[in-house]
Amino acid sequence: MADRRRINGPVGATTPPIFDKPAGPVATKTSDAIRKIFLKTGITPSASGSAYLELENPNPQRPGNTSLKLSCTVHGPRSLPRSAPFSPHIILTTHVKYAPFATRQRRGYLRDSSERDLGVHLETALRGAIIADRWPKSGVDIIVTVVEGDQDRDSPESQKDDEGWDMMNVLSGCITVASAAIADAGIDCVDTVAGGVAALVCEDDKTAPTIVMDPIVAEHGSILAACCVAYLPTRDEITNMWFKGRLPGADMMVYDKLMEKSLVACRCANRVIVQELNETVKKGQGIS
Amino acid sequence: MSSTSQHLLLSPAELAYLHGSLSLITPGPIRPDGRSPTQFRPLTAETGILPGTNGSARICFADGTEAVVGVKAEVEKTPLSPYEFVASTEGRKDHTQKKSGSRKSKKATGDEEDISMDVDEEAAGANDKIRGSPDWVELSVEIPGLRDDDSGTVFLTSMLTEALLADGEFVKKLWINRRFHWKLYLDIILISPPLSYPLPLLSLTTHLALLATRLPRLKSEADEDPMFDDDWAAATFLYPRQDTSAKASNKSSKPSSAAAAPASRPPITLLVMAVGDNIIFDPSKEELAVADSAVAVSVAEGPASESESEPEPESIPATTTKRNLQLLSVRTIDPPSRLTPPGVPNSVNAAAWGTMTAATPTTTTAATASATEGGAAKHPDARVTETEDVVGVWKAPRGGAKFGMLGAMVAKVLEREAASPRSQGAG
Repeated sequence: MADRRRINGPVGATTPPIFDKPAGPVATKTSDAIRKIFLKTGITPSASGSAYLELENPNPQRPGNTSLKLSCTVHGPRSLPRSAPFSPHIILTTHVKYAPFATRQRRGYLRDSSERDLGVHLETALRGAIIADRWPKSGVDIIVTVVEGDQDRDSPESQKDDEGWDMMNVLSGCITVASAAIADAGIDCVDTVAGGVAALVCEDDKTAPTIVMDPIVAEHGSILAACCVAYLPTRDEITNMWFKGRLPGADMMVYDKLMEKSLVACRCANRVIVQELNETVKKGQGIS
Repeated sequence: MSSTSQHLLLSPAELAYLHGSLSLITPGPIRPDGRSPTQFRPLTAETGILPGTNGSARICFADGTEAVVGVKAEVEKTPLSPYEFVASTEGRKDHTQKKSGSRKSKKATGDEEDISMDVDEEAAGANDKIRGSPDWVELSVEIPGLRDDDSGTVFLTSMLTEALLADGEFVKKLWINRRFHWKLYLDIILISPPLSYPLPLLSLTTHLALLATRLPRLKSEADEDPMFDDDWAAATFLYPRQDTSAKASNKSSKPSSAAAAPASRPPITLLVMAVGDNIIFDPSKEELAVADSAVAVSVAEGPASESESEPEPESIPATTTKRNLQLLSVRTIDPPSRLTPPGVPNSVNAAAWGTMTAATPTTTTAATASATEGGAAKHPDARVTETEDVVGVWKAPRGGAKFGMLGAMVAKVLEREAASPRSQGAG
């Protein structure tokens, strides 16, 4: 006997409602510019150095007006525990952690493999910049918290395939913010290192792929390859490079162009760091 | 920290000597084990060692490091997301329209041909829809003495996974039909302690294991529940080899060297380092300890150009030897040289009668007289010796690599791989 006293739901599985395609994002960012960066140092009083970074969202249709929020704290340099073996250099420990609500998929409180991977990249990028032999027998902890990951959350269209391209943007932000926080902590560096991303994107099958600086993953049809670089502008050196993807045709030409574009993105980010550090210095002089 | 810096017992003087001999320009770099800059370590390899796997391989390097890789495959249901359903029905709408059009045109020719036409179209539609998801591959790396969640291990895992997934072609091989796919588990185990940075070894072993991987032959059709052939001898290779008939058809265009070789190959990750202006392949632990920069480059070989399957006898003779290489991923690796202890120049060493404040001619001690004198007389300030290099005194490298150097390293890998017949003997 079927239960006729209650209003039952339909038998079997249901599919969630599907809405029509949302109005396409208005591309307000040109391919030759990076998104606006907000950077502020010295926001965490208890840490010896700290910085906060936001990336502007150029597509204001969304509820939030940012696309990436990062907070970085630097603890140290401090002495190593007595049990630790002698080290002639400063020991650098980097932690990158997504907040549980930072991405579409909830992140647990334990760091997963992609977060650890980002941590290793960040460590490589910073280790080249820090003058490590000025602090023997000491350690420094660099902790980056991703408050908002660079993901588009409001359209099902963009949930098609999560290939992890947004990790590149997060990494470049991590490098920039950590560099500012290290400078804020007063740790000697050869230069302020900054991160930048460039990607080879293909809007649709008909057009030829183009190279875009600081790509917004949701706005492009598909990303073929991307490159994240950590760069020291005054020394003209690269401390970390991460390239992945597939390059059509003659590889090296496109690859070199991609690298050059990401270096330009690095220079842009570096200007923001330098400006912010200058302001901090001026403020300090004004008070005393 | 990572496995790169383990068990390194070299003094600053030894490091400086090694760095000096590796950065020589005129005779080229002199490596401790006498290899040429692009030469790899000798190795022994075998495949099919684990009977319980779909494919397995073991590689043993001459320095005593050894790795085993087992590949296992399971059939898994593909979760259908509602968004894909929309896309597929839209696709089907187009499809039916097309079909009706074709039916009208084919009306005259008869029913049987019409059906075959439909089947063809169906097959073409299915081919368009073949897709893969990164979740279909699970790769785990185990290195003795390190935790699973150690950052070095995680870095290796993600680097090897990235190389497999970067072009999105590999996961398409795991597609069975719209509802089912293979899930591939790659378990990489380093048997020996990590005597050198294990990346090249692990990557090579994975490469071999994937080449030897076979999946049971599919008997069912289209979107049915998959049914497989019981006969293991009929199992197909994940990377299909060119069979004899194909070989016979284009024998004229191809010499017999690559006859039994697979058309495409799994990715391979190479470790390259730079010392001075020299680029050195497959560095050992000692060489990596003096590297200025190190890069891991993943390359894969695509299906060796479309022209090969078509009979094109003498159009481009060069392409038959050149292989269709694709750059998949590049990562810089933190060279362990940044963690090595620095040497102390005589000018600031009190034991060698140097002083911290001023350099006097008395700094001329017996052994390193010329080097110290030059350094100390020019730079009386001790701070200068801290920032600048003194000849023959080791200092951990600072900063990064030049843009041109990184590009040259990647280019050299592509060039070297294109020329190398190394992986030809595999299997």
